[in-house]
Amino acid sequence: MKKYYRFFGGFLKAQEKWLNQMAEKGYRLDRTGKLSYEFTKCKPGEYQYCIDFVAGQSDQKVKDYKAFLEELGYQVFYKNINLNLSVGKVRWRPYGKGTGQIAVNPGNYNKELLIVEKKNDGRCFELHTTNEDRVLYYKALRNARLTVAVLFLIFSIISFIQAQSFSKGVIGFGLLAILLLIPAFLYQTQMLYFSKKSSIEEE
Amino acid sequence: MRDNVKGGALTEVTFFILLALYEKMHGYGIMQFVEEKTGGRLILGAGSLYGALNNLQEKGWISPVDDGKGRKKEYIITELGREVAKAELLRMKELVITAEQIIGGDLE
Repeated sequence: MKKYYRFFGGFLKAQEKWLNQMAEKGYRLDRTGKLSYEFTKCKPGEYQYCIDFVAGQSDQKVKDYKAFLEELGYQVFYKNINLNLSVGKVRWRPYGKGTGQIAVNPGNYNKELLIVEKKNDGRCFELHTTNEDRVLYYKALRNARLTVAVLFLIFSIISFIQAQSFSKGVIGFGLLAILLLIPAFLYQTQMLYFSKKSSIEEE
Repeated sequence: MRDNVKGGALTEVTFFILLALYEKMHGYGIMQFVEEKTGGRLILGAGSLYGALNNLQEKGWISPVDDGKGRKKEYIITELGREVAKAELLRMKELVITAEQIIGGDLE
């Protein structure tokens, strides 16, 4: 048993890469915590990992999806995308779909990501393979980032109206908004790429 | 999913799922079917398959099979689904005829 402390936040690809590197070294994920990953030994390269973003879907839907993945023989772990240690929390996710707009803890809060483990069969492991589905996936990621960026932008504007000058609050919120717009923009680019592709070809 | 009943073309994945489900099958079976029939050209990711299965269920083209035990969900094509698949086959045949007229049937 080996325990590592890591925090990847919204950098899903980095997290996926790290898990795959661990697997190549012979470590298989056993448990996830808020900041921790526990591994057990396995044959080097025995498993592959893929991360899915499921925030914005209802708790029930995520459970159903998780069960579906497990039926395929995959092992699935929940993972938080943010750091939040409080319990008894209710969050509004304006980017969510239907009841997925409400996130509660305990419940679907802190379960924004699924880490999916598959026995390595020598092929590349992807969950989203059709262009249409990829569009939806990147759209969900974009909307999550964009929502928060817009909220920070609104805070910044409100602070400006109140202070009538570029106070710390105005600049702080403004910078956060810009920072969050970067991943939103990158996801948007991906989304458009696959959207364009899907009108010509399917795979 | 862009597929619609009014003569629109099905996506390749949709058509393959419908074909696979002429016999009842669970998710893993569908993935294997698609891979086998395309010689590994088309590999269906689990997330995309899940989305497609849900969409096709909503359309009423496939339905889950209730085996009364076990959670392993199997699906089967519905009557409506068969009609859609037949219409797609007809559309493809017509497309092949047109293509052969223009390109020629001799593919060297």
